[in-house]
Amino acid sequence: MGIVKTSDVTYEYIVRNEEGNVERIVTAVDQVDLDIAPGEFVAIVGHNGSGKSTLAKQFNAILHPTEGTVWVDGMDTAQEENVWNVRQTAGMVFQNPDNQIIGQVVEEDVGFGPENMGIPTREIWERVEESLRAVGMYAYRKHSPSRLSGGQKQRVSIAGVLAMHPKCIVLDEPTAMLDPNGRKEVIRAVRGLNQVEGITVILITHYMEEVIYADRVFVMDQGKVAMTGTPREIFSQVERLKELRMDVPQVTLLAHELKKRGVALPDGILTAEELAEYLTGA
Amino acid sequence: MSIIMDHVNYIYEADTPMAVAALKDVCLEFAEGEFVGIIGHTGSGKSTLIQHLNGLLKATSGHIYFHGEDIYDKEYDRKKLRSKVGLVFQYPEHQLFEVDVFSDVCFGPKNLGLGKKEVELRAYEALRQVGMPDELFYQSPFELSGGQKRRAAIAGVLAMKPEVLILDEPTAGLDPKGRDEILGQIKKLQQETGMTILLVSHSMEDVAEYVDRIIVMNQGSVLYDGQPREVFRHYRELEEIGLAAPQVTYILHSLKEKGLDVDVDATTVGEAVETVMQALARFRKTNL
Repeated sequence: MGIVKTSDVTYEYIVRNEEGNVERIVTAVDQVDLDIAPGEFVAIVGHNGSGKSTLAKQFNAILHPTEGTVWVDGMDTAQEENVWNVRQTAGMVFQNPDNQIIGQVVEEDVGFGPENMGIPTREIWERVEESLRAVGMYAYRKHSPSRLSGGQKQRVSIAGVLAMHPKCIVLDEPTAMLDPNGRKEVIRAVRGLNQVEGITVILITHYMEEVIYADRVFVMDQGKVAMTGTPREIFSQVERLKELRMDVPQVTLLAHELKKRGVALPDGILTAEELAEYLTGA
Repeated sequence: MSIIMDHVNYIYEADTPMAVAALKDVCLEFAEGEFVGIIGHTGSGKSTLIQHLNGLLKATSGHIYFHGEDIYDKEYDRKKLRSKVGLVFQYPEHQLFEVDVFSDVCFGPKNLGLGKKEVELRAYEALRQVGMPDELFYQSPFELSGGQKRRAAIAGVLAMKPEVLILDEPTAGLDPKGRDEILGQIKKLQQETGMTILLVSHSMEDVAEYVDRIIVMNQGSVLYDGQPREVFRHYRELEEIGLAAPQVTYILHSLKEKGLDVDVDATTVGEAVETVMQALARFRKTNL
């Protein structure tokens, strides 16, 4: 069994009118089966309302499936007694860093998680240091979070999750509010955690250029997994992605347009170097 | 000339030890009907800049003229200015509050003291301008999708009939199709009504695709001001201040290094396709 596994997961919620009568039932997640291996880097994309965030919240026991089961490291998330262990195993980072930072000083904020877990003080400091180093924010440990840039704040949020020693990190659009540099910083930090620390990463994003680093991509539509594959397999299907309100990286789009104009190119080109090689025959 | 900023300075918490200069000697002109992109990293002064244009913030020194009139003049009607210069904040859907979309859009013009008929006409027109489907007019704004909510909020500002529309990251958090739809709609609005549009964005690709002119803010000053292809030529300098060029710029530079004679100033995928096709034709001729 993988680090995160879902079997037939469905999540429904009820919309009531002003009198409190049931108006309709919305199926936000519809019979999703996933099996994510330890150490994998998985990206989940999908249009607004496709169910990707609702799905991600199941991995952290914020929501429980209406039907089906979610296991995090073998623990059933619907069991009340598992909740704390599930959240410690699969840490979550949200879109807006300002909603996640509580400490007055960076290192204090990062220490909040392990402190709540009852970790001895000396070990808390060790964890704070290693987590801040892992995201490249150790130099800012004495700073006030309010004076940091968006990318730096988001890296502090990630360090706060790391300090709880999770096996898996779920990031729900962590770069949506950041400038280009902030996006780069965060993605670099996330890839580092995956490659160096071997932490499983589940990245939810609207930026297609962040997806190319993933081992596997899931495309969600109407609560279901509509497409799954490696970034190359997914981005080979430009037209299908457009139907799903998605996009491809600009290099993939450029190659796709050139191909339509009669240039001999394979599908799913992901880097400029690849494109240059095919075009010049070098 | 619709807006002139003349040596505008703004200092947060002036006359205290915490004083921070957020705008430094900014001189800019925005012509009528222009579509301008404003870029800069977090904290570069973009938001402070746009909040000056409708009088939300008052410059510490310097002048701002709207249609030739000094907006800091004692006689000047700044309430009117706010209806002429519409500002759409980040995540504007957080400001929706009415029971249905139509009433929400009516709120602004109603507060201008217009008659019921005029208010409703304006709301209808504004909702059409943002491409809101008719069947959603009487839905609760809270039941709409993210993209539709954003449209409703923008319509609320449009119903004030502004001459200048300023949008602070109108596509943050939207899916790629939603981004294209909103920006396409705004472009259409600019072309059809001649409205001046100022777009603050973190997406270099979006800016390159839609605007005619880019202003780059850095540490409270204007660093570059020009057409996208001129501004993105400085991509190394842009990287140093936390920005970047659109992905195509990097792709074209990398193709050029490999020996394809492409125009590296192209900033959109459409332009890139053309220059690559031409370069390929030349390349094949010389390598035959």
